[in-house]
Amino acid sequence: MINSILRYGLIFFLLILLQILLFNNIEFSGYVNPYVYIMFILLLPVEIPSWLLLILSFFTGLVIDIFCGSPGMHTSATVLAGFVRPYVLRLISPRDGYEPGTDPSMMIYGFRWFLFYTLIIVFIHHFTLFYLEVFRFTDFFLTLLRVILSSLFSIAFILLLEYARRGK
Amino acid sequence: MRNLLNFLAKYNNLIIFLVLEGIAFYLLSTGNNYHNTKVVKGIRGTTRGLEQKISNTRSYFRLRDINQELASENNSLKNTISRLMKKEDLLFFSVSDTIFNQQYKYSSAEVIDNSVNRQKNFFTINKGRKQGLSADMAVISGESVAGVIVGYSDNFSIVMSLLNLDFRLSARIRSNGYFGSLSWDGIDYKNVILSEIPRHVPVSLGDTVETTGYSAIFPEGIMIGVVSDFEKPGGDFYTIKVALKTDFRKLHFVNVIGNMKKTEQIELENSFQ
Repeated sequence: MINSILRYGLIFFLLILLQILLFNNIEFSGYVNPYVYIMFILLLPVEIPSWLLLILSFFTGLVIDIFCGSPGMHTSATVLAGFVRPYVLRLISPRDGYEPGTDPSMMIYGFRWFLFYTLIIVFIHHFTLFYLEVFRFTDFFLTLLRVILSSLFSIAFILLLEYARRGK
Repeated sequence: MRNLLNFLAKYNNLIIFLVLEGIAFYLLSTGNNYHNTKVVKGIRGTTRGLEQKISNTRSYFRLRDINQELASENNSLKNTISRLMKKEDLLFFSVSDTIFNQQYKYSSAEVIDNSVNRQKNFFTINKGRKQGLSADMAVISGESVAGVIVGYSDNFSIVMSLLNLDFRLSARIRSNGYFGSLSWDGIDYKNVILSEIPRHVPVSLGDTVETTGYSAIFPEGIMIGVVSDFEKPGGDFYTIKVALKTDFRKLHFVNVIGNMKKTEQIELENSFQ
C-alpha cells in the first residue's frame, strides 16, 4: 500500500515536472501543445475506486492549472477524463477481463489495447481542454485541428514514456 | 431518508463528478479576472519563485541575442536624444524642469513567464505596484507593441499579450492615417488581423501599421507590424493581415509606458458623453 502510494507519487511528480519544464515550452506553430500529464490518470490501477480517481484527477488538473495560470481549464478537462475512464475500461475490456491488482499498462494488456485506451481518453481530454480554452465555436475546425494534432503528439509521447517504463 | 441514501450510494460517482466539475467551472468563470481572485493570487505567488528560476536559466542561454537587442535599442535612443537636444535649444524653457510637457513615463522590466501557444496568452513581468506600475499601462518590446497590464501585485504584473483573443487595439496605417481595430485570430503568433479599414482606402503590402493615441493607453505611433496580406471579403471593409514586428517567442526585456495625462483625457472624454 505504502509502496504503491510512493510509486504513484513519484510518477505524478515526474509527469508534472515534465509537463511544466518541457512540454509547456514546446512552441511549434501554436497548433501543437502536448499535455502529457494526463498519463497519470491513465496509469492508475484498474480497480481504483471511482471517487478516488475523480479526486486525484481534480488535483492533477489543479496543479497544472496553477502552473499554467489558467484556473479551472485543465481541472475540468482532467476531471472529465477521470470520470470517463471506468467506462472506457469497460468498453475496451479484454476478452477474459482485467486481472485483479494490475495497472492498465502496455506490458500486461499489449500495445493495441494500450493505444486504444490512450487514444480515447487523450482525445476526450484534449477536446474539452481546447474548446474550453477558446470558449467559442467560431473557427470550430481550426480548434479541431489543434485538438487532433496535439492529441497525436501527446499520444506519441505517452507511448514513448510507456515504452521507457517497460524497459525499466 | 433511506431512499435518499440509496440514491446517493447509487450515483455517488456522478455526484462527486458534478461537484468537482462545478468547482472547476466556477474557477474558470472567474478566470477572466483571475489575478484579482485571492486564492489564485496566493498560489501564483508561491510558483513565482520557480518561474523566476526557469526564466533566469533561459535568459542565460540567450545572452548574445539580448545584448544585441539592447545595443540596437541604445543606438536608436541615442539618435532620438541627439535629435531632441537640437530641438530644445530653440526653446527657452528651464532646463531643470524635466517634466515639462512630459506625457509618458517609461520603465523597463523583464519577462519572467511567457506563452504564445495558448489562445489567451498572458505574460508576467518582474515589476509591480512598488515600482509604480498599475493596470492599463502599455507594454512595448523594443519599439513595438507587446501588451497591456491587466493585474499587478507588489512586485509582479500580469500583462495581457497582444496574442490574446480578448485583446483589442486601435491601430492605423501610417501612410494614409486610416484607423481600424486590431485583434488576434488565434492562428499563429506571427500575425494579427486589422479590420474595419474601409474598402476605398489604398492598402499595399509592406505598409506600416502603428498605434493611434485614442485609447489613452498606448502613445501614438508605436509600430505594430507591416501589412503582409489583405483581402476584400463581401462587406465594406478589408481584412488585413499584419505581420508582427515583435517576436513574442523571444520576449525578454520590455518597457512599460504609463500615461501621466490619462485620467485627464478620460475625464474630459467622459464629461462629453
